[in-house]
Amino acid sequence: MDWLSNQIGAEWARAIAQFIGINVGFVVVLMIVAYTVLAERRVLGFIQGRLGPNRVGPGGLFQPFADLLKFIFKEEITPTASTRFVYFLAPIIAITAALMPIIVYPFGPEVSLPFIGRFHLVVARFDIALLYVLGITSVGVYGVALAGWSSNSKYSLMGGLRASAQMISYELSLGLSLVGVVLISGTLDLNSIVEQQGGWFGLRWNVWDISRVPQIVGFVTYLISAIAETNRVPFDLPEAETELVAGFHTEYSALKFALFFMAEYVNMFTVSMLATTLFLGGWQGPFVDVFPWIGVVWFLLKVTFFLFLYIWLRGTLPRFRFDQLMSFGWKFLLPVAILNVIITATILWLRL
Amino acid sequence: MLMVLLFILFGAMAVGCAVAMVAQRNPLYSAISLIGVFVSLACLYLTLQAPFIAAVQIIVYAGAIMVLVVFVIMLLNVDEEVRRPVRLHFLIPVSVFLAAVLVAEAAFILKLGSASARVEPIAPQTSDIGLTASIGAGLFTTYLLPFEVTSVLILMALVGAITLARQTRTPLLAVPGNVDAAPPVRDDDVVILPGDTAATGRAFAKSQIEHGEAAAPAARANEEGRQ
Repeated sequence: MDWLSNQIGAEWARAIAQFIGINVGFVVVLMIVAYTVLAERRVLGFIQGRLGPNRVGPGGLFQPFADLLKFIFKEEITPTASTRFVYFLAPIIAITAALMPIIVYPFGPEVSLPFIGRFHLVVARFDIALLYVLGITSVGVYGVALAGWSSNSKYSLMGGLRASAQMISYELSLGLSLVGVVLISGTLDLNSIVEQQGGWFGLRWNVWDISRVPQIVGFVTYLISAIAETNRVPFDLPEAETELVAGFHTEYSALKFALFFMAEYVNMFTVSMLATTLFLGGWQGPFVDVFPWIGVVWFLLKVTFFLFLYIWLRGTLPRFRFDQLMSFGWKFLLPVAILNVIITATILWLRL
Repeated sequence: MLMVLLFILFGAMAVGCAVAMVAQRNPLYSAISLIGVFVSLACLYLTLQAPFIAAVQIIVYAGAIMVLVVFVIMLLNVDEEVRRPVRLHFLIPVSVFLAAVLVAEAAFILKLGSASARVEPIAPQTSDIGLTASIGAGLFTTYLLPFEVTSVLILMALVGAITLARQTRTPLLAVPGNVDAAPPVRDDDVVILPGDTAATGRAFAKSQIEHGEAAAPAARANEEGRQ
């Protein structure tokens, strides 16, 4: 690192280091996503009393690669009456907006390696990390909305409209449920939010931190609105197959469909990481101060718990009706999230 | 050096998207170009050490306002704009002349002006103008009154929008609260009570049959019987 910055200047050395970090991060996340898909199929199979894919490799371990090969070699079908440019743009927006937030999450404490020195296990660390995540999430709506519009199909349009209405509605309660954590932490920097959760043998997490204000209500509202934001069961109205064939990606095939598919699972992964970082202490856990690398294990364990929760809910719950979904979001979740903000602020004010 | 490269990249993106927004005939393409302008402006704010303003630019403009614009375009299914012949022909040379003057002015300042007027690239400073904490402190101390007055203004706009949207003479959907206290009587046999969606449907069907927009159910049953 020092050698590199002596050669070409500190600015460029940092840029190169972050470029490598971003690429490694993308590859790791995409691998995790591929195995989330496999885990989902196996766990769903277990819940429904069947086996799931288990033929490709030992126990079906190479199934994601077989799926990817299949997606690459399928025929690309473009509807004749589609709006061509927007039709190609939509999956790109979806996957870009899904992948961009992953660089800001701290997945471990400060560690040291030979030749490199001490460094933080995070790709980019900046002041407004949380706002950055929310901003990119709000841009992700375009992928779905434009895909529905440009396909020139009634099912796609209905799915796109439903998806964008749902994502706009639940974005509000998603953002408001995070305000409580921001209030007790006093910062938008995810690194310092995690570092403030240290103590109590690594278990002083924001969810039950009674020395500050426990954010259990914020956690539950965040979890529900995050599931709605990623269009997963029981909020998967945009792709309700009994009504809309496949919703906004009805007319997409081959690799473009795979991009939407990947974007959905990357979104699941990022909202799980955000829940872990803000409410469950990120990489904080027992023995992190003794052996820093174990923080990565704690972080991945917590994220895996949320991913399992997603799959579990999909195997258990039926789908909402659209008016139920809207009234639940606006008339229940949003007031509860606002109430959580007011109560947290009042307690903080009284303690001052 | 890196900052200058980034500035050139995002500046070119902003200008290109702005030109595309005006030149496009399809309104959805214009909207997408406008989103591109907002995103590149946010990136420019980032290079100017104002991360909070950049994030707010993305969240408010690209994430909220433009989503509604795209939504409206999708719902209305707006067609491509038809090019009408230009009526005010003398405006074309005038605009070309004004643009030339503007470019000449900028070139003069950059190249021929005195050394003091020349714009040197400003080195990144460690100011706290664009940071979250300083903006929050400013909003809730020095600029509290303008901030609160603006929020009242937005509340007024909200109330106005709801008032405009609710002015319907005959309720299409008889949800509670959408119907006046006294149930409006449309006809002798169709009375709409608050919350009675079935009666609303009957009234709507009746009015459609009267205006010839739908076939009467008896006639349709006869046709099906014949088939």
